Amino acid sequence: MTTRRQFLSTAAGSTALVGLAAGVPDYLLAACHQTIAEKTDRILVVIQLSGGNDGINTVIPYADPEYYKNRFTLAVGKNAVQKIDDHCGFHPSMSGFAKLLEENRIAVINGVGYPNPNRSHFDSMDLWHTAHRRNVQTPTGWLGRFFDQQKTKARDLPGVHLGREDQPLALAGEKVHVPTMQSLDDFRLRLGNRRQLKKLMEDNVKVKRDKNNELLTFVQANTVSAIQTSSRVEEILGKYKTKAQYPQTGLGRKLATVAQLIGSNLKTNVYYVTLDGFDTHANQAQAHAGLLTELSDAVKTFMDDLKDQGNDKRTLAFVFSEFGRRVRENASHGTDHGAAAPAFMISGSIQSGTHGKYPSLTDLLEDDLKHNVDYRSLYATILEKWFKTKSKPILGKQYKTMKLFS
Amino acid sequence: MKMDDPKSAWKQADVKNWTKRHVAHLYRRAGFAATPDELKSGQKLGLEKCVDRLFNVETTKFDSMMKKMGATLLAARETRSLSAWWLYRMRFTPDQLLEKMTLFWHGHFATSAAKVNSADAMLDQNRILRNNALGKFEKMVSAIARDPAMLIYLDSQENRKTRPNENFARELMELFCLESGNYTETDIKQMARCFTGWEIRRKKFRFNPYQHDNGVKKFLSQSGNFGGEDAIKIVLAQAAAPRFIAKKLYRFFIADEPTPSPEMLEPLAQEIRKSNFDMGKTVRKILLSNIFYSKQSIGKKLRSPVEFAVGLKRALGASVNLNELANRLEQLGQLPFYPPNVAGWEGGRKWINSSTLLGRANLVGDLVRNNNTKWADSNLAVWLRKQNAARPEQAVDSLLELLVAVPIPGAAKSKLVRLAEKRGVKSHDAVADLIHAISLLPEFQLS
Repeated sequence: MTTRRQFLSTAAGSTALVGLAAGVPDYLLAACHQTIAEKTDRILVVIQLSGGNDGINTVIPYADPEYYKNRFTLAVGKNAVQKIDDHCGFHPSMSGFAKLLEENRIAVINGVGYPNPNRSHFDSMDLWHTAHRRNVQTPTGWLGRFFDQQKTKARDLPGVHLGREDQPLALAGEKVHVPTMQSLDDFRLRLGNRRQLKKLMEDNVKVKRDKNNELLTFVQANTVSAIQTSSRVEEILGKYKTKAQYPQTGLGRKLATVAQLIGSNLKTNVYYVTLDGFDTHANQAQAHAGLLTELSDAVKTFMDDLKDQGNDKRTLAFVFSEFGRRVRENASHGTDHGAAAPAFMISGSIQSGTHGKYPSLTDLLEDDLKHNVDYRSLYATILEKWFKTKSKPILGKQYKTMKLFS
Repeated sequence: MKMDDPKSAWKQADVKNWTKRHVAHLYRRAGFAATPDELKSGQKLGLEKCVDRLFNVETTKFDSMMKKMGATLLAARETRSLSAWWLYRMRFTPDQLLEKMTLFWHGHFATSAAKVNSADAMLDQNRILRNNALGKFEKMVSAIARDPAMLIYLDSQENRKTRPNENFARELMELFCLESGNYTETDIKQMARCFTGWEIRRKKFRFNPYQHDNGVKKFLSQSGNFGGEDAIKIVLAQAAAPRFIAKKLYRFFIADEPTPSPEMLEPLAQEIRKSNFDMGKTVRKILLSNIFYSKQSIGKKLRSPVEFAVGLKRALGASVNLNELANRLEQLGQLPFYPPNVAGWEGGRKWINSSTLLGRANLVGDLVRNNNTKWADSNLAVWLRKQNAARPEQAVDSLLELLVAVPIPGAAKSKLVRLAEKRGVKSHDAVADLIHAISLLPEFQLS
């Protein structure tokens, strides 16, 4: 609960608001408090690993003999593991993450999941996206609700999704529709020098329409946002060029673009990218190692680039997957859908090291790891400790926050 | 007409004033948009005959041509050309409904060439989908359960007694027949045992009796020494099965949202059960229904990228640069033969975001201004003149009737008419500008 004193101290510097504070009802004060608190320059970059990442072969419990019993062909030798602590370590192909750990820039959160784990990709991803609030006609995502909750109207849209896949449900708000970009160069209307035609087309989008037609309003809002963001992107393109050498991978290219937008001072709070291919039911070893290299190399380059920009302390990268995989490997040298798995947070202002207990490999729930950290605790931590906004209206319940930021 | 009453919703429609807009709606949903000629003749035919026309198409000549094209494609062993092949088929097939349903089933039994990586296996699956598209659903499910492309896609080439592969059993219930909530994890594990011994060897299906589990399996309140065929029968006997198919067909043909109530779907689900999952009969009932021609349906879907692009080319009589189109459709989020995952394309609002909106308008602009595009009527001005739309306002009306599912605001229309007045409608470039201007209207994305 916000006390009046807290409100006044937060609002210090804004005389208009202090003036307003005298004698206004509490609920209005609370609303004002939100407005001020959310005027933040902090940035979140969500990196979604799609398909269900094998957490056990990502953060490897090398000290546990059970690991070697269950992963008869997929186990990584103790000496090859890049140690995090005396129990677990990174997969050998994750030298990028290992370096970030040396530099105190990565938090490894073990055993993240939720009660009654769902092993369907779509249902579980939906849970992660909506934070368990799907049972409504038009579901919204946790970040979408965060955007909706922001009272101030910024010049730029609060979120951007970069990629070719469908826009993740996590970003869907009721009022705010954020753009998806495939590449900055393609993100414009190609009309050559037909200025008048361009104006006519843009004007016709803005013409008033029946507000009760939800589908039409949705398309209209997205078209307006497309026009707005594309002219903004055109404006800032070329203003900033990175010196960093990004890996020539899908994720490398996406994070290079995110760094370019951050470096160009786009006032966007949330960037969302995905890396697909983690559904490794068969012949997992090589494919999984390749994905982990792509992930950790791209993130390392990205964080170094942001450090050069001076933006690494206000940027937080958050890595998650919809579920982990089964403890025991299957007959096809792969792993089947599981439950709890590690998540990662990377930033210049992070409490580096492991957080949360590594789940037991023997005390299982239907052959899968039990979770120790509810993923909504991570969301609550991001919302409250990173973005300084209330998490309860967004998550529907007050979840415990963690001490992850310095 | 009360559309919230399920009984009258599914009764045969009685459309008092059958217009070109109704024909356009029917062709947008049951096919890939009408040509100006189809609009004209469809209006004369009236509702029932217009629907009949979609079910009775002579395709022998076209089929044999497509077969030859397919063989050439296989010789090249190039999976990427599969998409081009299918796009050609959608654009030029006389049997629009069959092709549209094949696309529906491709989304339902989604399998991606990106993983299967075999043009012949993908083409074989495409044939299964087309041959059963308007037939009996059980036959299709049985064929899919043995389909090499599907089993490779689901990592189910191997399925041993000692370690049953759960993947196919899971998707059979979750995505193909029942939807989650209608079975348990135990049902999956038990049912997986029914499919042990179903294997793919050198891209061919075979049953390996040595790897089949002959024990008693217990799932969905049944128990017995069941095999895979039995499992499919048990799944389809569930009350949830016809309801699930009804729900998917509703979303494909009637509206993206809101999700219809169980009561609304019940008459359609009953028809499915009664006809023993006869998809032709079911689709015919939908296309003839009251609700299909009501406000609950017209303009209540978002065009998919394939519907939008193939439909535009059909409507304008434009040729297709197939590989270029395939690349564009990939950017817009729907490349045939390459669905994003086992659940297929989610569709609806997911089609629309700022990139795809800009991309759609750019695709239209590039198509109408590309010097390499061939036009059935030499150019767009000639094409428009054929529709008796010589005056600017007539021209705009005629284009909107053909290309846009719902009326646009008066202010927006006036601007288009003024553009037509200023530039005239006698040159290809002027008509191209008009069409390009229409393509960014929010209404243009609705179907």
